[in-house]
Amino acid sequence: MSQRKATSQRKIGCFAILVLLALPVGAADPAEELKIVFIAYQNPNQLIEDVRPVTEYLEKKLGRPIRSFVATDYAGVVEALRYGSADVGFMGPLQYVLAHEQVGAYPILGEVYNGEATYTSRIFVRKDSNLDSVEDLRGKTMAFVDPISSSGFLYPLDIFKRKGLVSGRDDMESFFDRVYFAGGDEQAIRAVLNGFVDAAGVGQYSFSLLRPEERDAITEIAESLPIPSHCVVVRKDLDKTSVARLRSALLALNDGSDRRLLQYLYNVDGYVEVDASTYAGVARLAKAYGFLRRSGG
Amino acid sequence: MLLKRGLRISLIALGLVAAGGFIDRLQAHIVPAERLHPIAESHRRLVFALNLNPIPWDMVGDDLATLFPGGVTKSARAALEAGIEAESSAQRRAAAQQLLDEATRSVTGLLAATLEEGKKHIEDYGKASAALETARQIWASFEPAVQATDPIAFRRLGQCWLLMSSSLGSPGILDLGAVAPDARTFREEAEEVIAYVRGSFSGITTQRSSRLAALPTLSETFDPQAQPPVQLPPGHDINKQLPRPRQVLNMAERGVDEGETALIALGDMAFDSSFIFGEPARSLAISCNTCHNKSMTNPGFFIPGLSVRPGGLDVSNAFFAPHANNGVFDPLDIPDLRGIRFTAPYGRNGRFGSLREFTRNVIVNEFNGPEPSPLLLDGLIAYMLEFDFLPNPLLEADGTLSADAPASAKRGEVIFNRPFEAMAGRSCASCHIPSDHFLDRRSHDLGSVAGSGDDSRDGALDTPTLLSSSTSGPYFHDGSQPTLESVVRWFDQHYGLALGAAEIVDLVTYLETVGGGVDAYEDTIYTLDAELEEFSFFLSTFELLDARGERDLIDTTLRTVALELRAHKWDVQDAQYLPLLEEMASLMDSAIQANLEGDTARVRERVAEYRERYQENAEVLR
Repeated sequence: MSQRKATSQRKIGCFAILVLLALPVGAADPAEELKIVFIAYQNPNQLIEDVRPVTEYLEKKLGRPIRSFVATDYAGVVEALRYGSADVGFMGPLQYVLAHEQVGAYPILGEVYNGEATYTSRIFVRKDSNLDSVEDLRGKTMAFVDPISSSGFLYPLDIFKRKGLVSGRDDMESFFDRVYFAGGDEQAIRAVLNGFVDAAGVGQYSFSLLRPEERDAITEIAESLPIPSHCVVVRKDLDKTSVARLRSALLALNDGSDRRLLQYLYNVDGYVEVDASTYAGVARLAKAYGFLRRSGG
Repeated sequence: MLLKRGLRISLIALGLVAAGGFIDRLQAHIVPAERLHPIAESHRRLVFALNLNPIPWDMVGDDLATLFPGGVTKSARAALEAGIEAESSAQRRAAAQQLLDEATRSVTGLLAATLEEGKKHIEDYGKASAALETARQIWASFEPAVQATDPIAFRRLGQCWLLMSSSLGSPGILDLGAVAPDARTFREEAEEVIAYVRGSFSGITTQRSSRLAALPTLSETFDPQAQPPVQLPPGHDINKQLPRPRQVLNMAERGVDEGETALIALGDMAFDSSFIFGEPARSLAISCNTCHNKSMTNPGFFIPGLSVRPGGLDVSNAFFAPHANNGVFDPLDIPDLRGIRFTAPYGRNGRFGSLREFTRNVIVNEFNGPEPSPLLLDGLIAYMLEFDFLPNPLLEADGTLSADAPASAKRGEVIFNRPFEAMAGRSCASCHIPSDHFLDRRSHDLGSVAGSGDDSRDGALDTPTLLSSSTSGPYFHDGSQPTLESVVRWFDQHYGLALGAAEIVDLVTYLETVGGGVDAYEDTIYTLDAELEEFSFFLSTFELLDARGERDLIDTTLRTVALELRAHKWDVQDAQYLPLLEEMASLMDSAIQANLEGDTARVRERVAEYRERYQENAEVLR
């Protein structure tokens, strides 16, 4: 699903509904809370504890109270941004594109992992499978992560489209024997390891979810186009001063004594400035694969 | 702040939010704990616990409470009580078997009910996906056993889970990208899983090894010859410290070329080798170094049911070496081996006069290993005799404090040497003799051990050294004292020494000063280059073993290098060298095969090729 998001949990869903109060939109008032919604994959209560040093840092830097919430799915994040119950959220590329389409939210910073602001999806197979290329997967079974995922569906599927093996989401089974959505990066790559499927299309970091002794059984046979990293997204109406200060405070973490706080922000290496154009490629793909309305993107 | 156990904990805690990247960039051989649902965790731990003798009934009781969320059934409670009160091994085993049967039935029922919940709410993505996720996590109770003993069903059921996940569809983001659920597929696949768990686990099999295990014995495709995997219970931690302890080897400190000390190299290999042990330690890759990492005690080592606190283990247990189980739960603090050549006798009660006897007992009777050859034992002893205490500039050769020691420590030194009437006129230094490595080589009963009965005389323990002790906690034979301060307070209270608060501070400072030393830990968490260098050291023993025709020890050496290399290769910082590291491991595989076939020429060739690869690439393999 993403570079940070190689998790064993289904990430896109709405099994936990975020109930947040809609608050009025206004200019930067020092007394007004800046509301940040974090996405949690495993343990929301623990995450709130983990990010406390970050919210304390931001309160100091921005000179205003910070209120943090946790959502367990992106739909909750987008809802919160739509109704102003959150000002800031963290999202994957495809989720951002869809959120932009729906509620006008826009990205201000991209995450850096292992020194890169992009990552890739990869097609993994068992080493003993005699499958050497994506062409060899004709008539085979395939696991993706989730129907709405950049690295766990859109980009790995695009590998097959660029080779002319599929034309889109609707004719996948003309090439594959069967396509599954495993519900998480770990479930998808383990489905290959355990021989439930022939191949999986997942984010590059999913590999490291396997135990070291398991990794030797798996190999990659294809890699996607670079995917712009996950991003910090703000709601459409957040005042420019707040946006500028938030961007500046988070960028300041890249260097200096507060750098240690990055470990609480999904353990990123740092941030880079981004805007909607950074994600134009994702939007094009989303449109090409029918995720956006015809006027969208 | 990522030091020692802090890092170990962080690996698990931060895996919560960043599992992939974090593991990628840090030490891949530090294995984060498997994340399990409480039901799966308790069930797996129960299986482990019910095979112990004595059975840790408190732990069993806690896990039963988890496994019966609606309340432990009357029959399970009765079985628990029968087990606790059992007067024979037959009664104990019967109770254990009944408990496992009841608990397994409860888990299969919970799994089925959770899937039924998913079926019921298939049109409500949130509820259905939550139910599926929970069911899949409960399934982890059985997954390893099914994979090993019923691989056909394992594969089919794996596809069931995938189909259920796929049939959930997606609600999209505010309807964009929404996919409708497929209720029929979900229902059919859920029913297949439910039928399997309900129909296959109604009986508990005792395998040929007589271990209790929850196995799908009633499945048509169950393989009765297959053995369930050896697993430690959830909650265990056998990872080693990171950064690694700094090991002080006497010959290395003297500048000796490690490539020319073949016997010591053999011992180093054996110390790191799980192949000198028997099952199950061998399959779990446990070696001497697991508990005595680089000769320092491993303070995080913990196995539920066999440890009472981190840093300890009951070494006479039914899991690692059933033949030598003493039937008593008596976990011991893992001893620190630094300076071991000065600290005879050995064992917490000083029961072994020689290091050789002690070491053989660990191999054969604590970890079920085959009888070690004289050469192997010679190597292990030669290696351990090189373990030095940490250099300590604050101590003189006679054990007195140097002029640079803090004033508080010097005041503590006076207290340490002061005779106490309450201790029959003896001082701390009477037993911890400063000029003799702070020990007296005798055993004393201080009252820290509960006796076996009235007036029993079984509480005497060997006086431990205080050198390097500031990094060897916890303390006492059972690790019951977490800090040096708690040790001082124990003596103060036990003997009624009436030490003042300032005296306690001074005495603790003295102990910390005596027990301190320079650079207890390495200054990096990246260890691959050091490990590879050590593997070369292991292989430096090859010519000695080859000349003596020691094919078994050659086999152990090659296997150890291959296993360790594969465990550590993921630490390489530049992934382009992974294939090279795998090639080096494969050269060891090839040498192992040649050795088995008696083709000594080919073994020599492969070892030479390995050395060549390493020499050519040593600079980049980090």
